[in-house]
Amino acid sequence: MLTFILAFRNLMGSGKRTWLNVSVLSLAFVVIIFYNGLLEGWNVQARTDTMAWETGNGRLSHPLFDQFDPFTLADSHGKTDEGLLTLLGKDASPVLITQATAYPNGRLFNVLLKGIDTRQTLLSVPVRLMDSLASAGEGGVIPAVIGDRMAKAAKLKAGDMMVVRWRDANGTFDAREVMIAEVFRTNVPSVDVSQVWIPLEYLREMTSMYGEATYITLSKEGVAKLNGAADDKLPASGELYKGWRYEDEDALMHEIDTVIKAKKGSSTVISMLLLCIALLAIFDTQILSIFRRQKEIGTYIALGMTRLKVVGIFTIEGTIHSVLAIALGTLWGMPLLKWIQHTGIPMPSNTDQAGLAIADKIVPVYSAGMLLATVLLVVISSLVVSYIPARKISKMKPTEALKGKLV
Amino acid sequence: MKKFLLKGILHDRGRSLLPVIVVATGAMLTVLLYSWLTGVMGESLEMSSNFMTGDVKVTTRAYAADADQFPNDLAILDSDLLVEELRKEEPAVDWVSRIRFGALADFPDSAGETRGQGPVAGWAIDLFSEGSLEAQRFNLAASVVRGAMPDSPGECLISEDLASRFNVEPGEEFTLFGTTMEGGFSFTNFIVAGTVRFGSAGLDRGAVVIDLNDARNAFAMQGATGEILGYLPETYFDEEEAEAVKAKLNAGWAADTDEFAPVAQTLRDMPGMGDLLDYTKSISGFMIFIFVSAMTIVLWNGGLLGGLRRYTEFGVRIALGEDKGHIYRSLLWEALMIGTIGSVIGTTIGVVIATSLNIHGIDISGMMKNATMLMPSIVRPAVDSVIYYIGFIPGVFSMVLGNALAGAGIYKRETARLFNELEV
Amino acid sequence: MFNKNIETIKRFQNSHLKAKSRIMFSHNGALMLAVILFSVILPGGSHARSARGEQTQQSGESILRKVDQNLSSKNRIFESSMIIHGRRSDRTVTSRSWSEGDKKSFSEYLSPAAEAGTKMLKLEGQLWIYTPSADRTIQISGHMLRQSVMGSDLSYEDMMDDRKLTDIYDSRVVSKDTLQGRDVLILELTARVTDVAYHRQKMWIDAERFVPLRQEMYAKSGQLLKRMELKDVERIQGRWFPKTMIYKDMLKEGKGTEFRMTKIQFDQQIPAHIFTKASLR
Repeated sequence: MLTFILAFRNLMGSGKRTWLNVSVLSLAFVVIIFYNGLLEGWNVQARTDTMAWETGNGRLSHPLFDQFDPFTLADSHGKTDEGLLTLLGKDASPVLITQATAYPNGRLFNVLLKGIDTRQTLLSVPVRLMDSLASAGEGGVIPAVIGDRMAKAAKLKAGDMMVVRWRDANGTFDAREVMIAEVFRTNVPSVDVSQVWIPLEYLREMTSMYGEATYITLSKEGVAKLNGAADDKLPASGELYKGWRYEDEDALMHEIDTVIKAKKGSSTVISMLLLCIALLAIFDTQILSIFRRQKEIGTYIALGMTRLKVVGIFTIEGTIHSVLAIALGTLWGMPLLKWIQHTGIPMPSNTDQAGLAIADKIVPVYSAGMLLATVLLVVISSLVVSYIPARKISKMKPTEALKGKLV
Repeated sequence: MKKFLLKGILHDRGRSLLPVIVVATGAMLTVLLYSWLTGVMGESLEMSSNFMTGDVKVTTRAYAADADQFPNDLAILDSDLLVEELRKEEPAVDWVSRIRFGALADFPDSAGETRGQGPVAGWAIDLFSEGSLEAQRFNLAASVVRGAMPDSPGECLISEDLASRFNVEPGEEFTLFGTTMEGGFSFTNFIVAGTVRFGSAGLDRGAVVIDLNDARNAFAMQGATGEILGYLPETYFDEEEAEAVKAKLNAGWAADTDEFAPVAQTLRDMPGMGDLLDYTKSISGFMIFIFVSAMTIVLWNGGLLGGLRRYTEFGVRIALGEDKGHIYRSLLWEALMIGTIGSVIGTTIGVVIATSLNIHGIDISGMMKNATMLMPSIVRPAVDSVIYYIGFIPGVFSMVLGNALAGAGIYKRETARLFNELEV
Repeated sequence: MFNKNIETIKRFQNSHLKAKSRIMFSHNGALMLAVILFSVILPGGSHARSARGEQTQQSGESILRKVDQNLSSKNRIFESSMIIHGRRSDRTVTSRSWSEGDKKSFSEYLSPAAEAGTKMLKLEGQLWIYTPSADRTIQISGHMLRQSVMGSDLSYEDMMDDRKLTDIYDSRVVSKDTLQGRDVLILELTARVTDVAYHRQKMWIDAERFVPLRQEMYAKSGQLLKRMELKDVERIQGRWFPKTMIYKDMLKEGKGTEFRMTKIQFDQQIPAHIFTKASLR
């Protein structure tokens, strides 16, 4: 205990210099947290974006639906359970998919025509403009929204028309003009590349698949609602529920999670390197303070303190840097990080491409586990770094140390 | 004075060794951080480059317009000649021919009739030529699940999920049913040498990798190729260089107005890649800015400490009548020298480490289970021109700045109080 | 950067899906087209021969019957060449075909050399292809049948549709005109059943010879999807037969595909084994 008090008093005694080091270390500490938070934020964003744009928090798919095999689309649609949809309300969004051919400016594109409820709010696909256009135009052109990747590939912009040809449930060809109502930007290419979104009711009518869907996207609340039901709870992922195959969040996110896991390794290296920078500061300070305080060390030893104890004092002194740094970092870092979390970090977005620009920003996520791990990492590593230069002390001869002629 | 100072630095190790070590370590860390971060950030670009776009891609103009449909009927006809030309023109770039195709894989029963069939996406790459890096770009060898890499013509790799769906064992033969360049039928038998897992559900459902020459035979594309990809010597996409290569090539082809004349595009020109590139650049720029700033503050602190440390020395020098300005200037010169020496040493070590890691790669497969083809388990730090100077920013700049601040105290000191202060 | 990795992976997936849907696509058109078109457009089947009713009040149906009478035969054997106008070059594919009714047809490709010897058998709603290069018989199965055939607007399924026009469509004469210097009746055909590829068609029929000279296919919405021009009408074995057909997808740019019958014989003795899988090899 004495060691701690002594070490602490020594640190406080050296005033400015200690605070300088502590500030630097606290900066590193905050940056590490920020960096990890940023990565975590990206991961979370990747998941949330995919869920927001494509998968929801759960999905009831037609049992024959295979998202990787467009050939299954002709068979993988069925009548939705109206009772279920009424129960779920805004927490479900049915999507109907049909293979189609688009002819923008005489070129030929194989696309997926996706019908989405224009009143839905679950998925981020912008439907409002389609909704107003659909209710205004009577059976005329079909309003559609496409992503900017698709827009770029097909050289389309909002207001353009193109012919889309598809086959209805019976295999009869039909073709109509669709008008690009809006071009949206998304991080999720799978709702963008080679996809044309049109109002669900239009697609149902166009394909004679009245009341049908390929899959029903569920929100978190929707999943909870179904799970909370008295009788028919949602089954395990991959099992059938009222004739539809249920996939839970984990199943839908499987691939993303795998990628995230796979990337953890390389981000650890970055944290380590960053930590090294901070530790360099402690190391530097330790060497300096041992150099400057040789007389002090000599005195300690001359006074009968064991060398080990002196090493202990200096090691703890160094380590306390990190403790103070964490305290200081928390003091200034927390509001800053909170603020960054609040505003997000803006990312550049190509404004030259016509279309609705979605503010590309990343919101860092600071998890308790990550915070704790960072704290431990900083403290333990600064302990090690403080110890290494302090070891020298044990080799000192008290007499020479007293004279200040050692290092 | 400078000579004298330099001598001092070199001889008085007590004075210079520690600061040099600290600066060198800082500079080295900066270099490593930069190259690692750039490498990690560049990974997805690298993946795209390896799998789809190359750093520079040469196709016919007509093919480029519809590239996402792999229109092999618009292929480059005399591609071998063109590749030779490209190699002469840009010898530093590794030019490779590839054919992308869609086909139907048909697996026969014992009577030779269809047992099962599924659509596949195909890559035809140079698997067998001496020194071909193509298999490496796809991380094929590490991705083999069953069987082995193809080692002779007519052998291919198919995705594991496709194989297990149709109970296909390595060594079995199947027919690839596709379209020739001219639009005719193409039926070619291939032997499954091995199965691979790509780590992407879409690809794992149905993909096939065959040798370029086999594809040329199968699709009647003798001497032709869909795409010629150019890989710059740098591991990660070097936009400036790629753009330079593209500009030079396109200038040479500008006069040709034929829609089947070749055209070069960089990775940036591919759909969606521009965004990805900008995104990557700005994020890594941002991260590097933060790191370099942190490093700068640490080294500035180091400089400051170094200055403070010599408090006594300056006191003595002032006491001996040395001009304060002279002391200050000598301090700054010294800091500049130490900063430079440290940065040179640190950068050298950093560059050596980064380069060797770049060449050998760091196998992080232990950190990631289910090593996949798309996600190479070998991470390589980036090596580009920046690593040669980035270490100097914190190294020299902050060293000088730190000393400048610490040394400013010199002017405050009064000779009269010096001896008192110094307790000499 | 992580979500960008995911994006990249997704992009791979997407390109993969695209590749899959490219399988049966090529910019050039198709080998199979000849067979398909000749069987779909010019029914080779033994259609109803009963309608010898009044000609004065020609209903659409009676005209179609007459077209049937004129074109149909118990069977036919023909050689044809197909000229595919590619973006780069034109190419010609020749084949010899045997067909009996609408349900059986067998073709063998004669040229170009790469395809020579490839045989195709359509039998009772099933389709097999034999290729000497791989020495394999491949069945086009399941949902593959629904995919369009090599960039054409016909799917394998269309090719398998062996119903008569008069069974599927209600027809009426909408007007008269002259085409290729001949008087023509313009018929409008509207689908009576739901499971047809084209909801509406228009046919220009030679009023005297009962040979279709032009045919247009429309989408349910009324959008013109494709047009066929039939030319070089010759008298063969007592019937008028168009020996050339130009087929064009109206939504796509391009010159279309041209078919030419080089030899045709009706009502021959075709050995039964032709229409068996054994004849593929």
